[in-house]
Amino acid sequence: MLSASGQDRSPFIRAVGRALPPHYASQEQLIAAFRELWATRHFNLERLEDLHRAVQVGGRHLALPLEAYPSLLTFQQRNDAWIRSATELGEAVVRQALDAAELTPGEVDHVFFVTVTGIATPSIDARLANRMRFREDFKRTPLFGLGCVAGAAGVARAADYLRGFPEHTALVIAVELCSLTLQREDLSIPNIIASGLFGDGAACAVLRGAAAPGARGPRVVASRSVFYPDTERVMGWDVVDTGFKVVLSAKVPGLVKDHIRGNVDGFLAQHGLKRGDIRHWVAHTGGPKVLEAFEEALELAPSTLERSWASLREVGNLSSASVLFVLGETLESVRAQPGDWGVMMAMGPGFGAEMVLLRW
Amino acid sequence: MAERELEVMTEIHRIVTEELEWKGAVEPSQDLVRDLQLDSLGLTVLAVGLENRFRIRLSEEDAQGVRTVGDLAKLVAQRVAAPVEPRPEEALP
Repeated sequence: MLSASGQDRSPFIRAVGRALPPHYASQEQLIAAFRELWATRHFNLERLEDLHRAVQVGGRHLALPLEAYPSLLTFQQRNDAWIRSATELGEAVVRQALDAAELTPGEVDHVFFVTVTGIATPSIDARLANRMRFREDFKRTPLFGLGCVAGAAGVARAADYLRGFPEHTALVIAVELCSLTLQREDLSIPNIIASGLFGDGAACAVLRGAAAPGARGPRVVASRSVFYPDTERVMGWDVVDTGFKVVLSAKVPGLVKDHIRGNVDGFLAQHGLKRGDIRHWVAHTGGPKVLEAFEEALELAPSTLERSWASLREVGNLSSASVLFVLGETLESVRAQPGDWGVMMAMGPGFGAEMVLLRW
Repeated sequence: MAERELEVMTEIHRIVTEELEWKGAVEPSQDLVRDLQLDSLGLTVLAVGLENRFRIRLSEEDAQGVRTVGDLAKLVAQRVAAPVEPRPEEALP
């Protein structure tokens, strides 16, 4: 995208850090841990195990050891644990991303902190500033509630900012500790599916404006948000006394099938592009049915979303961090060549989608 | 309609109105997918609710012959009357 003076103001994505908490549990270990709890209400436990296996996740990294979760009973206990773990994991991922970008905390001008799995005031970005010593004039934009779309939307909003401040550097930090939102006493089917799908993780994208010294990497050429009216109950939280109770309908794959093709084609056409021009598709790892819906609607070859499938199998759906995990792996891939076009896309509560056009 | 089927109908009505937020009537002739607008998640919630209430197991094979609310009520009533053999581990004390 050119400025009035004819200069390309598209910001650069310099690096994407990824961090996972240290406690890993395989899907079978998690099923075993849930089985006794499920049996307090449900009769056909094999059906529930099949639901857990159907999401095609091999295991999840957890903020806490598996045995620590049953003692978390109140919203306060869960959220206090979230603040501690989110700050630890957030610091680790920001340090990793800044190292990869060959930058220091003092060179950061703006932090976009996205999450949907816990709340904190001051927000986690302020706590990271104290630990990492960002400058006193760094700007903070904490974003809560966008859910899975927030990784892509965070990059899009950071890029919008950097077009106005082309000499600046912005971080998009996504920290999602889905395990700490789990309502153990909610034995509804949507919650049981969510407990099989969502994992914990954090990602940090380092973006630099077009005029920042030494900026390089793929450029954020444009972005497009899409809002689907009257879809509030498709995904989200009902906030209850014990925390965040998941709202999850099976309509998500259908929404993808109905809309994403028209959304993507319209977005690409604005830039004189067609789907066939896109070499890298960076898709949010919503779940098997969502990835299949992306493939079907966009008529993608079987291996096109290989990184998203692998990420889903390895770590589960990390909400907003997921698409940044896939983006980071794409950035580090030798397959991405100068001149390549890419599209990053994610969907989340609203219901809505965000598409980001990238050029290497 | 047999007494057991009526009992199953009552439970189907409870699940679709209370757990699946269905606002309309629930009749035996209604198609589960077309009329009650149940998606895969809704069908799973319904099956699990019936399994829990009547202590039965419903399988993929069972689902093949079920299209309407009445089909489902009949299947569940039959399964309650003639339960499948318990699995070996459940036969243990």
